[in-house]
Amino acid sequence: MTSSPQQSPAPMIEALGVQKWYPNGFHALRGCDLRVQRGEVVVIMGPSGSGKSTFLRTFNALEDFQEGSICVDGITLSDDLRHIDAIRREVGMVFQQFNLFPHLTVLQNLTLAPVLVRRRPRGEVEAQARELLERVGIAEQADKFPGQLSGGQQQRVAIARSLCMEPRILLFDEPTSALDPEMVREVLEVMQALAREGMTMVVVTHEVGFAREVAHRVVLMSDGLVVEESSPEQFFNAPRHERTRRFLEQIL
Amino acid sequence: MTALLRRLRRDYFATPLDGGTTLVLILLLGAALVGLVRWALFQAQWAVIQVNSTLFAVGRYPLEQQWRLWVVTALLAAASGVSWGLLRALPRRDRRLEAVLWPLNDRIAIVLFVLVTLLLPALLGLTLAIQSRWWLITALLLLLRWASGRWGAGRRGRRLLALLPLAWPILYLIGLGLIGGGLGLVSVPPGEWGGLLLTLVQASLAILLCFPLGVLLALGRRSTLPLLRWSSVLYIEFIRGAPLITLLFLGQNILGFLLPGGVAPERVWRAALVLTLFAAAYLAEAVRAGLASVPRGQLEAARSLGLSTAQAMARVVLPQAIRTAVPAMVGQFISLLQDTTLLSLIGLLELLGTARTVMANPAFLGKNAEVYLTLAVLFWCCCAALGLGSRALERRLNPTATA
Repeated sequence: MTSSPQQSPAPMIEALGVQKWYPNGFHALRGCDLRVQRGEVVVIMGPSGSGKSTFLRTFNALEDFQEGSICVDGITLSDDLRHIDAIRREVGMVFQQFNLFPHLTVLQNLTLAPVLVRRRPRGEVEAQARELLERVGIAEQADKFPGQLSGGQQQRVAIARSLCMEPRILLFDEPTSALDPEMVREVLEVMQALAREGMTMVVVTHEVGFAREVAHRVVLMSDGLVVEESSPEQFFNAPRHERTRRFLEQIL
Repeated sequence: MTALLRRLRRDYFATPLDGGTTLVLILLLGAALVGLVRWALFQAQWAVIQVNSTLFAVGRYPLEQQWRLWVVTALLAAASGVSWGLLRALPRRDRRLEAVLWPLNDRIAIVLFVLVTLLLPALLGLTLAIQSRWWLITALLLLLRWASGRWGAGRRGRRLLALLPLAWPILYLIGLGLIGGGLGLVSVPPGEWGGLLLTLVQASLAILLCFPLGVLLALGRRSTLPLLRWSSVLYIEFIRGAPLITLLFLGQNILGFLLPGGVAPERVWRAALVLTLFAAAYLAEAVRAGLASVPRGQLEAARSLGLSTAQAMARVVLPQAIRTAVPAMVGQFISLLQDTTLLSLIGLLELLGTARTVMANPAFLGKNAEVYLTLAVLFWCCCAALGLGSRALERRLNPTATA
């Protein structure tokens, strides 16, 4: 644990009793609660099919849900499209498959949304974008196309692209799962630096090292439920629940 | 040389059966070729083409107004030259090659091009005044191709290149205005356009207009709104289920019923409208395939960055979908160009219609072979140009081609 997050009365994310059924009837989320404070890093772990990605994707309305409530940065998620757009502007997301826009250069990938959505002047956004690329260590690739970069570089571009919108929260959906092993570290280092700077982050990942070192809290999901929620020390050394113990046995 | 011989032997004469087949095919092809050349040089009477060359080119377009067509041709040549040069100056991303001012392909194309402009007008027996106009237009095209290729690689060239998608439609409108008249020019009603001119106007109009319509239909077909989706499906399937010729006849008749006599647009425009509506349905299917090829994550990434659905479509999904759809779309455009020959059946004098009137003239009885061969070559040239141009465009505008 790096620094303890400041305790503020209004959490950045507050999900209460979230339930989701897929159209085929599958009960993917069966009443999930999660509270994320400002500046906190929460890691969600769990076996595949446990609903952790689905849960994460409800936070910026990429997935809808039927029961419960989600409040992000004071805005309640509802069917109101203006609320959804407002939340998406404040919440960045990094995907397993990077999802960079292949027809745009790296720089254009970063500047597209700030210019289009926030209506900021292009020159200013470009300067900021170059700075961000510098920060994630790929300033010299600004004019290349995503297809010309390695997986690790692409994921770092994707992180920079999210940051360029100046989000208050960053969601990571298995950001290193599609990477070759030697590229995992460069991405985790960028994420670690972000956490140190106080970014509020929710990370779905299997990277135990990252969870141990960076997370303030680790959450285990299983079968659409939040099973355990504890500090990394307790989670990995003395888990409270039998289900967590079995999961750790499988991955450690 | 021995390598060539060995290869010939391996590919064509490996077994007695292979060898026999090769020999028989060579003899047959040779005989056909000799026959064609002998016919073209000694038996065919090309006078039918020479005498009617203006008719084939522009139909009954009034002689004293034809300077306008020359202006349009010169403008088109200029725009083609600039576009060609600018596109060539773009580095190719699928191969790590420096852009060369005159790559081999271009040199071959230019030699062919110059040969055609030097030989064809002479063969057609055009007057020296008209021949020299063709030379001037060719020179203009090549000069601009050279100049824009020379300066196109710089910053200014990039900016010019970005203007091209805007410049062509504007040029197109100017061209249509020049052809049709109005605004101080003597008006030449579409009924007097004919030949290659009418064919190209019809085809280009339909190509330009069916594109936005087709994209909208494709989006409609993938929409989550049932009403929009089902009406798009209904439209696309209805059009694709009906032969173009019936739709053309329908268009000629139905618009007459729907609109009071004087208001109904001229037959030429009615035909263009039907062609557009027809092509849009097929284009929609090509674009739909393109849309399906864009991964879901692209839309999700765009939406999670705060783009609205419309913005995400316009800036992220459609550009990728259309790039994927370009080959299928160009195939569609090429068949559209060929489909314009059906207009002769509803009485329009485009290339085929003009040809039929010429062949019906007692002075040129029995000259069908000459006329049809000329038409075939003309259409082939237009379609080949479309295909080559689009392939070049595709290669240069496709950054995903990088491995």
